[in-house]
Amino acid sequence: MPRLLSPKILFLRIAAAALLLFLTMLLCSLVGTEEISLRTALTGSADALSPNPDFEILMHVRVPRIILAAIVGAALAGAGVTFQAVLRNPLADPYILGISSGAGLGAMLAVISGVNWTLWGRSPIAVFAFAGALGTVWLVWMIGRVTGKFHVTGLLLAGVVVNACFSAVIMFLTSIAKSQDVYATIFWLMGNMNEEDFFVLWAGAGAVGAGLVALFFISPQLNAISFGATDAQSIGIDVRRTQFLAFAISAFITAVAVSLSGLIGFVGLIVPHAVRLVLGPDHRQLLPLSSLVGAMFLVAADTVARVVVAPAQLPVGVITAMVGGPFFLILLMRYNKKVGWLT
Amino acid sequence: MTASVQLQDVTFGYHAAHPVLRQISLAVERGTFLAIVGPNGAGKSTLINLLAGVLKPRSGTLSIDGADIQSYRQPELARKVAVVRQEFIPTFAFSVAETVMMARTPYFGQLGFERQSDHRIVTEAMELTDTSQFAARPLGSLSGGERQRVFIARALAQDTPILLLDEPTSFLDLRHQVGIYDLLKSIQQDKGRTIISITHDINLAAQYCDQVLLLLPCPVDSSSRAAAPGLPGPAHYRMGPPSEVFTPERIREAFGVGVFSAPVGRETVILPLGRLARDADRTDPRSAPRENKP
Repeated sequence: MPRLLSPKILFLRIAAAALLLFLTMLLCSLVGTEEISLRTALTGSADALSPNPDFEILMHVRVPRIILAAIVGAALAGAGVTFQAVLRNPLADPYILGISSGAGLGAMLAVISGVNWTLWGRSPIAVFAFAGALGTVWLVWMIGRVTGKFHVTGLLLAGVVVNACFSAVIMFLTSIAKSQDVYATIFWLMGNMNEEDFFVLWAGAGAVGAGLVALFFISPQLNAISFGATDAQSIGIDVRRTQFLAFAISAFITAVAVSLSGLIGFVGLIVPHAVRLVLGPDHRQLLPLSSLVGAMFLVAADTVARVVVAPAQLPVGVITAMVGGPFFLILLMRYNKKVGWLT
Repeated sequence: MTASVQLQDVTFGYHAAHPVLRQISLAVERGTFLAIVGPNGAGKSTLINLLAGVLKPRSGTLSIDGADIQSYRQPELARKVAVVRQEFIPTFAFSVAETVMMARTPYFGQLGFERQSDHRIVTEAMELTDTSQFAARPLGSLSGGERQRVFIARALAQDTPILLLDEPTSFLDLRHQVGIYDLLKSIQQDKGRTIISITHDINLAAQYCDQVLLLLPCPVDSSSRAAAPGLPGPAHYRMGPPSEVFTPERIREAFGVGVFSAPVGRETVILPLGRLARDADRTDPRSAPRENKP
């Protein structure tokens, strides 16, 4: 009997990945268009009379943005793992059930309706996108339920169709909207990190963290469900409950991520695959480690996005796709022989 | 002694007007090796799904270990009945040991990890099925016969008194077919498990099984078949020891093929023969192929 994953190994790996994430965040907080020194920022006085610019830049510009990138990266990678398991589809990502078009439609409606109130410090775009994302997943779930007993093909088809319909509505709105409105929406949709209030960051981190912990507790059931619903049922898994929890929680944390930063592609697709290629498909390990690696990846990608064409900034989604794609291909070639993953 | 599995007037159809299984009553004693045979569409897999709790009968009662199947919640039923479905390769590259351990998922501790007792059961199941040697390999890298043994190991690790199998030997070569039957027989004999297996190989079933259930597609008009000559009892199914159920006439009737039979060893071997087979002229003349329409 080979050594199976034990709580001790898992804990050590999570601790190592968390440490690595912390170091990545620290390192990235020192990289930027302005040279700052960590020592000056932390030891220099920071009272109103003698401002400490290093401290200001670190604490009010870089750290919030880095924390945001970590939250969003963890949410997208964790949701990606879950959707791939429940849909038994390696091509699934957090947006596959229509979240992207739902959020896009919400954002578009917020911009063209011209509302300008804020909810808990969030812009109307973020609030509308959040509602649009959750509403769409609910719609897809209900359609999937009507078409069959939670058959994953039915859900996937419903997701594809709803995505297509909403995309058409977005295009229709785009064609009749004012050009600056269209620009604002598209720029938002491309996925961007901004400097957010600490309140927003804490709320986001709390929501995503709670969601990921809840998903961890159904991760043994996700292992069984990735063999098929009927098969999992014969083993004694409560398939309906697990499927519902998995969908609801991962849709929720994806919607939180989208409302914080727009649509950032690729993280939720390739990070789970990369971690799975190296460490295997056991979801008890795949879920926490993908989340940590996703956080690391997005923090690093966003750092590149804000310095590579300084003083201008690139949307972070451009970096995730450009860097992540080739990196993933290298992993695939290197490990595919070992695990026979595609055979 | 209560029966392991008992059906009382069980009727099931995906549509109410077209029953797949009609009024089936039978009992399977504990520790029996039962083969289910019958033409495609006779409802063999449907019956397995009913016994596994995936489908619910439209009428009649189905009891497992003396209690109505409806009274079990799904996790409870999974402690009574384990299922080996037709061989497949899962989406993600789980190793053999991980796959077998999955059977213990409902018993995992709070953190979602196996206990010592789970390790013991899984190790035993893998030794019995001779799968320990490739415990660390991903399922996709195994041959069909090896993979089938892994799924049997997983069903054993579920530690249930009843084992259901849906065509465990299709797609396997002769050596692996015999290997699976020897394995199932030893599980029955050494562990006293009840084994119910669908098969298309009537000769192998006759060699290994205690009882066989021959299922026929439900006739559209029930009255015309009920009085079929030479078939005492209900005409659309027949259960008994292989030597009683597997007669050339009944096989010919059930599958609509010409048959050629000869006593070999303790059993009568039955070969299906088509119109152009070499020995077609030696088949029972009454078993003229079905194309001679009535």
